[in-house]
Amino acid sequence: MELTDADFVARVLVDDDQHAFGELVRRHQSTVRGLLRQLTRTDVALADDLSQETFLRAYKNIRSFRGEARFSTWLYRIAYNCFREDARRRKEFVGIDEEQLQAEQDPQVEDPGLRHDLMHALSLLPMHERSAVLLCCQNGLSHGEAARVLDIPLGTVKTNVLRGREKLKRTLAAWGPD
Amino acid sequence: MNEISQEDPVDRQLREAARYIDDNGFTARVLRQLPAPRRARRSLRGAILLAATLLASALAYLASDGGRFVVVAMERLATLPALWLFALAFGSGILVMTAGVIAAIAKASELQS
Repeated sequence: MELTDADFVARVLVDDDQHAFGELVRRHQSTVRGLLRQLTRTDVALADDLSQETFLRAYKNIRSFRGEARFSTWLYRIAYNCFREDARRRKEFVGIDEEQLQAEQDPQVEDPGLRHDLMHALSLLPMHERSAVLLCCQNGLSHGEAARVLDIPLGTVKTNVLRGREKLKRTLAAWGPD
Repeated sequence: MNEISQEDPVDRQLREAARYIDDNGFTARVLRQLPAPRRARRSLRGAILLAATLLASALAYLASDGGRFVVVAMERLATLPALWLFALAFGSGILVMTAGVIAAIAKASELQS
């Protein structure tokens, strides 16, 4: 039987088992790094630094994980807080610097088709809408879970998801084939 | 789970666009930065406490003329009435047992959480 995240968390708590924590990192590194890459507008180096910080904080504060939410949701919250703190330090949390967009293309993007357009369109969204769309539409969190991660009211999450999704559709339609 | 329709094309495209990111040593880098396991820190703390206790005991022994105060205390205890001795032993037992139960409850709730 495959061990669950809760099993590994218990091992970390009881035995301070760093191998168990390593397994948790292996399981969730892709989604956490992916989320942070999108939040940082595909700044891979910064996203990976923030991802490392996320997992280090998770390890240090694992006793505060009560199991009320999924472990991944708890990680997303830490990741988002890391990103927000870093963005505040860089004073670029609010608004979008359009000029940066061309310079911040994801080096892993190899297909210049729909995925590229989608990621580009996503990066054009305001931060609050991008965060909500990423968490709910891409990572499959419920609105309630996203509200906990983003620390905003449930209604605001719903509004941000709706607006973000509509903007994405409009942008993609405008870029569509003639 | 999600209130959003699973059929929404943008949602589907977003999910499909989310590629798996290879580990490429990321986990190893995180593990290298973790602080030392608490078990090691606990054993170090225990060793320090034990050494401090032994040192304090040795100093007390030397400073009290070969543990003279212990002999005096035992002589005083021996002169106490049996009822007093019983009450003293009972009280000490209750005190130690209460501390043990509190420690066990604290540990159990810590593990449960």
